[in-house]
Amino acid sequence: MIHPSNATHSQIDRVCERLPSEEREGQIFWKLRWREGRSQLKYFSTQARFRTILVVVLSLFFWIGLFTLFYSGFRFIVMNAGPAGATYHAQTVQFVFALFFASLQVMLIFSSGIILYGGLYVSQETRLLLTLPVRDSRLVFYRLQEAVFFSSWGFFLLASPMMVAYGIAVSAPWYYFAYLPGFVLSFSYIPCAIGAIACLLLISRLPRLRGILVGIAALLVILVAYVSIWQTLDISPAKSLHSSWFIDTFHRFEFTRGEWLPSTWLSNGLLDAARPAGFDPEDLPWLESGKYFVVLVSNALLLHVIVLWLGNRVFRKSYCSLTSRQAREAKSGSVLIDRIANGLLIPFPKQTRLLIIKDLRMFRRDPVQWSQFLIFFGLIFLYFANLDRFRQYQGDLSVQTWINIVSFLNLAVVGLILSTFTTRFIYPLISLEGRRFWILGRLPVKRDTILWGKFLFAAGGAWLPCAGLVLLSDLILEVSDVVVSIHQATCLLLCIGLSGLAVGLGALMPNFHEQSPSRIAAGFGGTLNLVLSALYILAVVVLTALPCHFVLLSSSTEISFHILKASTLSFWLGVGLATSFALTCLVTIIPLRSGLQAFRRLEV
Amino acid sequence: MIQFQHVTRTYGDRVAVNQLELSISSGQVLALLGHNGAGKSTTLKMLVGLLHPSEGTVRAGPYNVEENPREASRLIGYVPDQPFLYDKLSGREFLEFVAEMYGLRSTETREALDREVTRFELGEFLDQLTESYSHGMRQRTVFAAALIHQPEILVVDEPMVGLDPHSIRLVKDLMREYAALGRTVLMSTHMLNVAEEISDRVALMKSGNLLFEGKMPQLRQHVPDAEASLESIYLALMEQ
Repeated sequence: MIHPSNATHSQIDRVCERLPSEEREGQIFWKLRWREGRSQLKYFSTQARFRTILVVVLSLFFWIGLFTLFYSGFRFIVMNAGPAGATYHAQTVQFVFALFFASLQVMLIFSSGIILYGGLYVSQETRLLLTLPVRDSRLVFYRLQEAVFFSSWGFFLLASPMMVAYGIAVSAPWYYFAYLPGFVLSFSYIPCAIGAIACLLLISRLPRLRGILVGIAALLVILVAYVSIWQTLDISPAKSLHSSWFIDTFHRFEFTRGEWLPSTWLSNGLLDAARPAGFDPEDLPWLESGKYFVVLVSNALLLHVIVLWLGNRVFRKSYCSLTSRQAREAKSGSVLIDRIANGLLIPFPKQTRLLIIKDLRMFRRDPVQWSQFLIFFGLIFLYFANLDRFRQYQGDLSVQTWINIVSFLNLAVVGLILSTFTTRFIYPLISLEGRRFWILGRLPVKRDTILWGKFLFAAGGAWLPCAGLVLLSDLILEVSDVVVSIHQATCLLLCIGLSGLAVGLGALMPNFHEQSPSRIAAGFGGTLNLVLSALYILAVVVLTALPCHFVLLSSSTEISFHILKASTLSFWLGVGLATSFALTCLVTIIPLRSGLQAFRRLEV
Repeated sequence: MIQFQHVTRTYGDRVAVNQLELSISSGQVLALLGHNGAGKSTTLKMLVGLLHPSEGTVRAGPYNVEENPREASRLIGYVPDQPFLYDKLSGREFLEFVAEMYGLRSTETREALDREVTRFELGEFLDQLTESYSHGMRQRTVFAAALIHQPEILVVDEPMVGLDPHSIRLVKDLMREYAALGRTVLMSTHMLNVAEEISDRVALMKSGNLLFEGKMPQLRQHVPDAEASLESIYLALMEQ
């Protein structure tokens, strides 16, 4: 160390020369990751064993399920379109692969860009690293690794059973399986790097317009998805599932097989690696597949270099410009949504109303919350809006049966999506309130009022969009008025039950040490809430769907069974509804009661 | 050692720091004083490279902070107002990470660790994960990390927040001793008694402008009642 009293510039220069080389810097970051990973593993194996086992078992279950599904599908193709290498087989599988990988490619671009934005521009860790002598390119790469990991794990979980199933179904040679990890890694890196480049450029060039641009891009993607779904399903009944339909659909998705798309390189590489060698001695499938592999790797490396170069040039500048923005002024009294909410909540006591409005304001000012809400419910809306294909076959009894099943499945989907929201956003509310409990604790408000406020906020906020979506599904499917009423009643029960469960468990098992809602939701209580919610939804939907289904069947068929007598079925429908109601009461009252007791005793 | 030359920083239309001219030599402790929103934290963030000036130049030693952020940061140790620690690392692992990032060799890292652990009395909890640390423990660990490479410049944003009286004494002594070694300390604080006790010079900021910069006796000359407390002088100047 030099002594500053007599430190000269050259001495200071010498100290700075000792800063870590690029390789050493990389090693230090890997060491950091390894140490963090070790601690995390230790935590999983000691303090979160139940959650870890649950996650592993569910993931395995999901993987095996997907594998079985894909394996059956590919065996069907082998039996009907010939083995790997046959023209129809190649065309069919290429269609499936290209569509699948092209869709995931777009999702990876968006998700990696958004995750990288969070990691680079709004993270406290980045703020620390910017004050250390870390190269900007290294910092960007360090964060990109996380973005790649977090955005690609879903891709690995979906793609790996499909690719393995295909290899086994067509008895692919060993090098097909040897190529797989390299193909997956190099392919997933390309869209993630594109997302990273887009993120860096967007923030550095247009920081003020980033929200608008991302919104426009998301709208475009939704529009393209909507038009694609519409066009694909827009077929005359006569053409349905005929060869002309297949050829037509095959051509409609030509754009997913463009030669310049990484998804095409991956699809072609997999197809080549899986097919047997032909009679031509110069036709070497492993080499043909290897060429696509090299194209993928070289493009991934090129994009990697561009990300580093861009990170070095624009990251710090864009970080500074982003943190120098003028703070937005929060609008409160004048906002229409607050006024409407205030009007709707008139029947409730003033204190409850104020607490609900506070939660509503926090929700709508947190883009993470409302954007996820909007994306998931928006996608369900898109799907529901395309359901009218069934109407073409209203006269067919089997189609009517399907319509009924689909309408109840839609109800279950809405419930399941809602359960992820109650777990992610409602369950952590009390834990987060605990950190600022001194504010509420000092106010002349009963603790029960706080909890009831959360429950009403969750149930009321969930009911409006869920009831709207279920109604849309029913109207599009043109189900009977009785079914619409049953669906609406079940939807209301689900909103009440799921909210009661999340608020009650959140108060029963608060976590005041954690500041991140996602980590609170990922804890034991959050996992328990998710599992119980899924079981509850399953029970309620089955209890109402089964009798309803048989009632519909009995009214639409001439065949008469004793069990299908209208009076018996109406009785069972009544029993199903009453049991659902009783179950909802249990699911709401027991956790809320226990939560209230725990919350009253709470010392923060 | 530190130079702010015609430095301006804006947040949209709002001027956070306006044409700041400030130099701090080696061996001095300078306390930045001012109300909330006066521009103190922005000034410190520009020095440590978290913000770029809209106009002007910030220098740490021979380096322009904007042009040579790595070299400049090697000369600086920074204690932010909201410190970050890796939850899943122990205090020892965190300090080793920071030391290695500053280019310390393994033997130097061990020596530096021993020195800072003794200085900040971190021994009892050094090998626990930082997620279990109290605010005071976190603050002391962050101080140790800022000093692990014995920087020429120590920059501290609100150093006493959340510290117990014993730790406050520790930090005050540390800053004085550090300046006595010929190094430079720049801190922002609301605690006027701390500024009076340990700083060689004070700088008063108001709405981004530097109202006063100099020694305590010079500050007293600015108000008619020279015997008044620093608090009265500060408030009188702020109201002018």
